[in-house]
Parts: sequence; C-alpha cells; structure tokens
Amino acid sequence: MSTLEHAPEGAVEVDPDEVVDRLGDRVIGRDEHVNAPAVIIRPDEVVDTLTVMRDEFGFDLLSCVTAEQFPDRYESIYHLKQYADPTTEFSIVVPTDRDHPQSQSAASVYETANWHEREAYDLIGIEYQDHPDLKRILLPDTWTGHPLTDDYNQDKPQVVAYEAHENPLLDHTEGAESDTILLNMGPHHPATHGVLHLKVTLDGEQVADVEPDIGYLHRCEEQMCQQGTYRHQIMPYPDRWDYASAGLINEWAYARAAEDLAEIEVPEYAQVIRTMGAELSRMAAHFLALGTFVLDVYGEFNALSMYAIRDREKVQKILEDLTGQRLMFNYLRLGGVAWDIPEPREEFFENVKKFTDEELPASMDEVHDLLTDNEIFQLRCVGTGVLEREVAKQYGAGGPVARASGIDTDLRRDDPYGIYDQLDWEVITDDAGDVYSRVLVRVREVEQSAKIVRQCVDLLEDWPEDEREIQSNVPRTLKPDPDRRVYRAVEGAKGELGIYIRADGTDKPGRFKIRSPCFCNLSTLPEMAEGEFIPDLIASLGSIDIILGEVDR
Amino acid sequence: MGLPVTPLETVLLPERIVDALGLEGYGVLGEFVAGLLAAFLVANIMLIMTAVAGPWAKRKIRARFTDAIAVNRVGPFGLLIIVADAVRLLSKEIIIPEGVDRPAWELAPIIVALSALLGFAVIPMGSGIHVADPEVGAVFVFAVASLSSVGLVMGGYASNNKYSMLGGLRAVAQNIAYEIPLILIAVSVVVFAGTLRMSEIVAVQAEPLILVAGIAIPSWFAIVNPFAFFLFLIANLAEVGRNPFDTPEAPNEIIAGYQTEYSGVYFVLFYLGEFIHIFLGGAIIATFFLGGPAGPVLPGFVWFLIKIWAIFLLTQWARSAVPRVRIDQLLDIGWKGLLVLSFLNLILTALIVGVIAA
Amino acid sequence: MIGVLKSLATTMEHALKGETFTVEYPDVPPEVSPRFRGVHKFSQERCIWCRQCENVCPNDTIQIVTNEQRQGEQYNLHVGQCVYCRLCEEVCPVDAIILTQNFEFTGDTKDDLVYNMEQLKSVPWYNELDPLEAREPDRGSWVGEGEDEVDYQ
Repeated sequence: MSTLEHAPEGAVEVDPDEVVDRLGDRVIGRDEHVNAPAVIIRPDEVVDTLTVMRDEFGFDLLSCVTAEQFPDRYESIYHLKQYADPTTEFSIVVPTDRDHPQSQSAASVYETANWHEREAYDLIGIEYQDHPDLKRILLPDTWTGHPLTDDYNQDKPQVVAYEAHENPLLDHTEGAESDTILLNMGPHHPATHGVLHLKVTLDGEQVADVEPDIGYLHRCEEQMCQQGTYRHQIMPYPDRWDYASAGLINEWAYARAAEDLAEIEVPEYAQVIRTMGAELSRMAAHFLALGTFVLDVYGEFNALSMYAIRDREKVQKILEDLTGQRLMFNYLRLGGVAWDIPEPREEFFENVKKFTDEELPASMDEVHDLLTDNEIFQLRCVGTGVLEREVAKQYGAGGPVARASGIDTDLRRDDPYGIYDQLDWEVITDDAGDVYSRVLVRVREVEQSAKIVRQCVDLLEDWPEDEREIQSNVPRTLKPDPDRRVYRAVEGAKGELGIYIRADGTDKPGRFKIRSPCFCNLSTLPEMAEGEFIPDLIASLGSIDIILGEVDR
Repeated sequence: MGLPVTPLETVLLPERIVDALGLEGYGVLGEFVAGLLAAFLVANIMLIMTAVAGPWAKRKIRARFTDAIAVNRVGPFGLLIIVADAVRLLSKEIIIPEGVDRPAWELAPIIVALSALLGFAVIPMGSGIHVADPEVGAVFVFAVASLSSVGLVMGGYASNNKYSMLGGLRAVAQNIAYEIPLILIAVSVVVFAGTLRMSEIVAVQAEPLILVAGIAIPSWFAIVNPFAFFLFLIANLAEVGRNPFDTPEAPNEIIAGYQTEYSGVYFVLFYLGEFIHIFLGGAIIATFFLGGPAGPVLPGFVWFLIKIWAIFLLTQWARSAVPRVRIDQLLDIGWKGLLVLSFLNLILTALIVGVIAA
Repeated sequence: MIGVLKSLATTMEHALKGETFTVEYPDVPPEVSPRFRGVHKFSQERCIWCRQCENVCPNDTIQIVTNEQRQGEQYNLHVGQCVYCRLCEEVCPVDAIILTQNFEFTGDTKDDLVYNMEQLKSVPWYNELDPLEAREPDRGSWVGEGEDEVDYQ
C-alpha cells in the first residue's frame, strides 16, 4: 500500500478492492500480509492474473516467489512491486493441492519467475506447468526429494547412479557436426568469483549461448534460519549470505522484516548507527566489487585491485572498531544494535572523518585516473554487455545493475528505512546499461555512501549524552502471532535484499525466505553476454558483482 | 669532448675461447667446441636472468606498484625464494592429461624456450659476448623469435583442452598480426643502417649525431626516429604477450590459454620461454634502437643488461596500469593501426635515406 | 592515449613513493579492536551453570554437563565450529564466558579444536588485555524484559 502522499512519477495507485473486482472469479479469497494486501487465486489462472497486474496496475517488478508447504496445501506467493514506487506492493497467493502440487508458471509474464520457480520446485516441490525449463537449480539434478517439505527424510543417503557420472560432454565431442563448441566455465574458473558454473556455447570466440549453473555453495541458509529463534539465533547468519563485507546490510534486512513482524520500535539513535554501519558496509562491498572486476579486465598484475582492497581494509578497520569483527559482524539486534559507538568516541569519529574527508576523495581520484579515464578500459567496456531497461525490469534486476540500465530505483529513497529520508544524498543512475556504466554507478555510489556516513557522524557527534538509547525494550522470547506474514526488503549492496517470514506462533519462523539480489542479477547474464566475445562475458559477469554465497544461500 | 663510447669488440666470443683455451690446433673440431662453450655461457646468462626475473624481480616490481612488500622472508631481500621456487617447480609432478597428442605436447615447451634462446646467438651483448655475427643477423633473430608461435599453437592444440585451443589460436593470430609491423619497423632501421649484420647496426649507432653542450649525442635510432621506436615498443609488447596484449594467456578469460594443461618441468619451460622472450624483445630493442651495449663509463655488457631490464620493467609497468584489450580489438589495432603506421614509417625512412644518399 | 598515460603515471607515483600497506603479521602483531571476538575464555569461579549460553548458541557449539544437583561437571566448546557471534557472552549474567581478542589458536585435527573446561580456562589474553573493560559500558543494556511476563528460557 502506498504510504506516500504523492506517488512518485510512473507509479500507479492501486486499490485492493479494484484489483479484486478486476480479477473477478479468478479470486478465491483475500488476505492481508503485514506489508501488502493479498489475493488468493486459482492455480490455473496465474498467467492471466499476473498479466493483468503487470499491464493494468503497473506492477512491473516480481520481487520474489515464495513457496511454502502447509499440512493441507502448497502455496506459491508472488510478491509484486512497482519499480517507480516499491511501497505499492501486492501479494498473489496461489494455493495448490497437497497431493498434486501443480500450478501455472509465471515465467511467460515475468522472466525472473523462471529461476524463482525453479528454486521453489527444487526445495518445496511445486510443479509449475508450462515452465520453460523446470529442473533443479540449487541442488544437483540427481537429488531425490524436496528438502523444505515436512515429509523429507534428511537422513536418507542420496544415492547417485554410476551413469549420472558419465562424461556429460560425450555427445559434444564425438561426431558433432555443428560449428559451435561447448565450453564449461567453472566451477573453478578464475573469473567466476566463487563456485559458479557457466555452460557457454561458443561460435568461434563469440558467445552463442550461456547458461549459469548455480548451487555449488548452497548451505541451506533458509532452513538454518527456520531453526533459529527470532531473538538471538538468526542474526549471526545474515552476515554469511553476502559475505563480502555487506554483512550489516544483510542483518538489517532480517532486522527490518522481523521488527515489522513483531512490531518492535527501534530508537532513533540506533537507526543512525545502523545507517552509518550499513553505508560503511556498502562502501566495503563496492570496493571489493571494483577490485575483483578490475582483476577480470586488467589481469592479475594490475595495481587498482590492490588499491581497492587497501581502501576496503580501511573501512573494515572502522567496522572492526564499531562491531568487533571484520566480516561477520553480528552487530544488529532486533530493536537496536549491540553496542554504542566505541570509547573514546571522538577518536572513532576522527577515524571515520579522516577516511571520508581525506583518504576517500584521494583514492577516488586515483580510481578515475586508473579506470574510468583509461581509453583502453573504455574500449573494452563501453557498449559491451548491454542490458536494456525493459529487459532488466523483466528479470527483476536491482541495485547498481538496474540503476546502470536507467531504472531509477533505490529502496533507501523509495521505501525509506533507517534515517535515509532525513539525509542529503542522491541516487546514481546511468542510461547506457553497459559494463562501463555499471562500474561507474558503483564507483559513484561509494561517494554517496561516504556522504551519508559523514552526515551520520555529524548527527552522532551532537547527540545528547542522556538520549543515547541503542536498544528498545524487547522481550527475551519473541512469539509473533501465528500466520502473520511479512515481506520486507532493504537496499543491499547488490540490490533488493528481501526477507519473507511467516510466523507460526512459536519462537522460530515457520518459513524464512531470502530474496537474494545476486540471484536475480545473475539471471540477466545471458541477456548481457549473448553475441559478445568471451572477454565481454567475463567483464559482464564481473560487472554484475555476484557473491555466490548470496546466490546459492 | 665526445662521449666515451665503449669500443665494440670485433672478435667474436667463440674465437676468443679458441685463443684462450689454445684450441687452434684442432681445426673445425676446436671451433665447434668453442662455439658450444660460448652458446652455453650465453644461455646460462639468460637462464640466470630469468631465474632472477621470474620468481623474484617480477614480484618485487609488482609489489612496488601495488603498495605491497612481496617476497622478503627467505634470505636477504627474499632472494633465496629463487632457490625455493626452482625446487618447488622442478619437483612437481608432470601431469599428462588424457588424450593429449604426446610428441607435439612434449615438443611445444621445448620449442618455445629454444626459439627465444636461439635469438641471443646473434645479439652483440658488449664486452665481447657475441656468439655469432652472420651477415643476415637481423633476419635470423626475427625468424627464430617467431618460431615460438609454432610452439604455442602446438601446445594449445595438443593439449586436448578447449581453453588451450583458444589460447593457441589467439597466440597465432596475435603473433602474425604484430610480427609484420615489427619486422617492417626493423626494416626501416636496416634501411638506415644499410646492413643486416647486427654488429654493424650497433656500430652505425655509435657515431655522434649532434653535439649538445659539448656532449656528443650518439645517433641511436631511438633518437633519430622516435616514432619508429615507439611503434616498435608497442608491437614488441604484443609480440611478447604482455599487457595490454596478453590475450593468449588471459588467465581470467581462458585460464592461461596454451599452458593450462602443463605442469612441472614443462610448465617451467613455458615460463622460462616467456621470460627469455621478453628479454629477447628487450635485446632486439636495445640493439636496433638503443645502440646495443654502448654507454659511458660502465662496461658494455652492463649497459646491455641495464637496457634490457629497463624494457622488462616497462612491460611490468604496463601490466600494472593498462587493461587487456579484447582479441578482436587487438587484431584491429595490429592490422589497421600498427601495420599502416609501420608502412608509413618505412616509406618515409626510405625517402629520407634516398634523399640523403642522392 | 592521455588516459593510459595518466594510469601509468598513477602507478609509477605509487612505486616511487614506496609506501606499503602490508601487515607484516608474525613480526608485528596486529592491533585488534577491544571489541574483537576471538577464542573464548571461561571462568569456573564465576559460572553459575545456568546454561543460558548453551541455549542461545546458534549452532550447538557449547556443551554443558551437570550432575543431578545441577553442579557443573563439564564445559566443552568446539572453537572450530563456533561462528564468533558473542551471544554466549551477551547472555551470561556473570561474565563467566568471554571472547578474548586472541585469534592465534590452531589444531592439527578438528578434535584439537574441541576445548574442555581446563583448556578454556587457560586461554591467554591477547596482549595481556582483558576486553571486559571495553565491553562493560554496554553490558546487558540490550537484554530487555519486555512488557510481558519475564521468561527465563
């Protein structure tokens, strides 16, 4: 529901009653989630319903598809949003039969549903009809059973037949008359930034087709969160989704969802600290993204990657002073943060100010000298790996990837949390949609983050000493009301990082679903790379800035 | 006062060895032994330089550019890392992948290392270190140096690996695209010098060009024709496969290309060949453009080393700051840019020389 | 061309300046923040065997064995499995377990990383520094009781 008085440009006001009237007899019920109104529709009307929602009500972003199993039914929830105004949300709930979980696929309406539904099929077992390629995505193809269902026996060994290990390329090497070759990039390739497997079909040096194969780093993060208590045990895990320094933002994603679920207020002072910490994390994450991207384009001997790591190190030092850890912070708590600014406060503020005011501008100049002004770099990156605006929307791209394609979206501004709406900063966008603009957007976002951090420091410095409340009064055991459902997102370093939680009346979540920005961004890779050369494929992959820990969860 | 130029030794190294060891009486056999000894000496100088460059200097230089420290744990300045790395590399298992084309696969690294080493036979290194001085020295050095692309494509093709295959093909495409401009620029130097004999090319450059403040500036071709020198530097970067032209290796794209499947000694040979190739490139630049071993005060051989290490430093410097171009862009630059410019350079040089001669 | 030259100039400037950013770790021990969370230290005198740390631990790192009179017998902690979230220290009402700044601990096998009570007691402070001082101001400030009745887990 729109909470803004004036809807932003391009946003469409949506009245739930109007939606129900328009959908007519496709609707079999209504519900109210904490974040959005929901309608329950028949499983054979998914495509029609979503087409209406997209074309007539302006829901151009399918944020997430959550699948759940209940004792009597399966449910798929399509979380719809508008890029222009992410606070206008709507949930389409599609229940299916417990014995025959079959539901219509939404992949023909939103491209991004393709991967999300594959994940739902993989982990929950709902079969999506007319899906273009319904196969497992996170688990191996040989896996039996669907791990997030209640009748799944996790002690049963996964027996893989010998035939499954036969050389899968045999067909491609013998007697192939075609002009293309299949190249397996990864899972251990220097430029895949982790364990990612790209099945690349090459026509000479040109990429004819590329298919990302993910899941090598699947660690059951959702299930682990479902086994932890809201109050304490979930918070250490978000650090490990996007482990490249963006930990505080991930923690905030969980905190935001859980606080809305349990109706916890966060003191203003804690919000300022959270904002500062999150932006420091974002800077560190962007520095790492820059450093690794540069490695892909320059080769392993370049200086800029080391300079980027050096700057990230400075941020990490600040974060270590604040949170006590360099990567796995575990600093946020439901209803606040764990610690106040470290004593002596002045010294900490001096360190931060020294970084944002002196060291960062100097190193940003260097980045421009070494990177963006370099003609050979421009030769490589301008006009390659282009992601068109509408295509990016179809794939649910977020963060710098979407903003570089000209989509003016940023949850920090459009769906404000923390104290972002009180600060002075800009959303960086670029229209080109190529590798160069993605890198440029990221570089300029670092500057904006520094601006935010600087303002937070000013606020904290002047904060009256007796009002430094870092934590609101939260019960030791949280038991949100059963069947409360919330989907909340924050602007992660890579894009919209959303958490869906369904409470089941206990102190642990009934369903915990992570909407990973990298997952959606990675699915745009074929659009960027097809028809380009291998080096452009590598550059495109680097410019998406994937963290496999977040893709696979 | 003229610049003191170290007089070039006219006596070749094998002849001096014949004299020193008293092998005159043995005729052809004596000359043969002396030639072998001379080649052995030169090859070892190059191997020592590579050993310093590969495990140690490269890392130190890189660290300097990237604000790091690099090897400093083993021995003074970390120099003993050379021994450690040599032992490590040589003791590694040689893994021979399934389905490789054995003879070609095993020959490839030897050809790469050999082709680079052979080139040094005709390079005058000063202080009398000069193995052979045939009339067609300039032709020989380029012919031998380009042999390495045969090794690269052999290695790439025989490895039975798609990445190696891509790397081998890239290497050949690149070498052809850049060898022609390289040779055309060299021809312009030959036109200036009027000879293909390496010692004479060096001798021509020793003559004073002009006097500035009482110091004679020698007529090094880098000073006479800086445009050709600049073109040659770029073409040479591509020839030795260093940034921005290291596409045949490109570890981030095709995982080191032709050397992906090599390990142990074979890998060392590739590695060695690569470094000797860089040094050979430096030696050719020094001979053709920087007056060979000429220089004040220090002995000729030291000057020669300084010059080729400077070129080595340049390649490492380029690596620190210049991105890798894409293979199609690389070929564009080669065929549409450098080739045209080098023809232009050749024609201009020929005209100028013709006018002077007339 | 200008841009390429600018890039080259930038790296050369760094090379000539010769500043380094490398931490020469074993020779120069790094300074860690007072809040840094390293290996645990246990105090048997303080411990009241309330088992809150065992309950709160997100991945069952802590194992406590008590006898029938609820007197402690064993306190085992698998530091190789620990995620260093510091929740045990936070919930401890008597500061019996604390995460020192000591990060230098190794083991040849996973079993070596299972610390028993004696090993946990003899974990040294890093740089002779007891971090409790640095953490004291905020101790317990976040553990509220809520408006509902108190729930002692």
